[in-house]
Amino acid sequence: MSENTIISTNNLNLWYHEKRALESVSMKVPRNKVTALIGPSGCGKSTLLRCFNRLNDLIDHVKITGEILLDNKNIHASATDVVTLRKKVGMVFQKPNPFPKSIHENVAYGPRVHGMKDKTDLDTIVEQSLRHAALWDEVKDRLNDSALGLSGGQQQRLCIARTLAVEPEVILMDEPCSALDPIATAKIENLIDLLKKDYTVIIVTHNMQQAARVSDFTGFMYLGKLIECGKTSQIFEHPHEELTENYITGRFG
Amino acid sequence: MAEKFHTELNTLKTETLEMAHLGRFMLRTAVDALIRQDLNLADTVISRKEEIHQMEVRLEERCYQLIALNQPMAKDMRVIACTLKVITASLRIGRYGKVIANIVKKISDQPHIANLMSIPHMADLVIEMIDDSIEAYDKDSISEISDFSARDDTIDSLRQSIFREGITYMMEDPKSITRCTNYILVARYLERCADHACKIAENVHYMHTGERIEIH
Repeated sequence: MSENTIISTNNLNLWYHEKRALESVSMKVPRNKVTALIGPSGCGKSTLLRCFNRLNDLIDHVKITGEILLDNKNIHASATDVVTLRKKVGMVFQKPNPFPKSIHENVAYGPRVHGMKDKTDLDTIVEQSLRHAALWDEVKDRLNDSALGLSGGQQQRLCIARTLAVEPEVILMDEPCSALDPIATAKIENLIDLLKKDYTVIIVTHNMQQAARVSDFTGFMYLGKLIECGKTSQIFEHPHEELTENYITGRFG
Repeated sequence: MAEKFHTELNTLKTETLEMAHLGRFMLRTAVDALIRQDLNLADTVISRKEEIHQMEVRLEERCYQLIALNQPMAKDMRVIACTLKVITASLRIGRYGKVIANIVKKISDQPHIANLMSIPHMADLVIEMIDDSIEAYDKDSISEISDFSARDDTIDSLRQSIFREGITYMMEDPKSITRCTNYILVARYLERCADHACKIAENVHYMHTGERIEIH
């Protein structure tokens, strides 16, 4: 695995019961870049995303074969601590899901669970995380207000701040803008661009224009297979595979 | 929606081909008018100037609308990018036709010198290049344009040769200066039209393969 690859999968397969959801997926995710996964509904992109922090472990009757390496270490090895893995590989979901607590508590929750007790340290990390998530200026005067009072876009950025607070290496985003209006979407997209300086972002999106706008690399999935993965400019300008071409030009899907 | 978009894209291509054929017609007819010293033919070319200009405005606008409303990608994006270049090149070819038609009106009262030198032959070769570039665009194929670099070299050589020959005639007989100067200009316009055919060919190659090439 090259130094610039943070995650790689080798011949990854996944079954839900008898249904094969991923088929021989081999890919490399470059460090400090944004990688987008696109494909029609049910093609396996969210399943693949959830493999990276072993969220599929929570689902019954899932069988996985093949290998996923994070920083050269197999995440399915017996020595891997899933809590530590999920700290390193954070996740932002489709619908903003803040805890029914204050803005401050939402961000401080993760570091507190991981053992941080000192109030000053917590305050510092809350401010840093909110600044990183481009939300600080909007909430700094009401940190003790309920997070549920924020707008949808602000809630989603709060969820990103909550993810950043535990200092991950990778941020997984599963359709992070699908419940947001265009202005809130633009803010999240700008944020993604800023985040890649310090983090690796993998984003699943149905919106191909969004994938084209925000990502450096794009993988196209179809029926559980990774059909093509390459630089975003190449995938959207002249994909090598006919299937990719047909999908992104709207001929199917 | 994708189906509607692709129908609109096909219509755009069909109308762009009509414009390309009009540009080609204007050039061919202007050269024929020059050869035959036919003022009516020259007027026919000049009368189509406004029409081709309107086509350019309308088709370009359609391209921009398709981009704005559909955000095309991959092949669809390349088809529109290529179409925009075909529109521009066709307008230029048509306008050179019009300029040559104006020359016909200026010099038709005097006999040709040396049967127009190599201009008729050069025009045939240029028109063939235009025909092949339009056909390549129409069929989304690159076999028609594979030898364009060599053909463009031939056109450049012919222009040089007409230039040298024209200078010789002018030195021999100052009364031939107006006609020979215009022949040299026509050769220059024909060479520019061949360059526009090459530009179409480069863009068809991009449309077809996604790879950029330059035809020298």
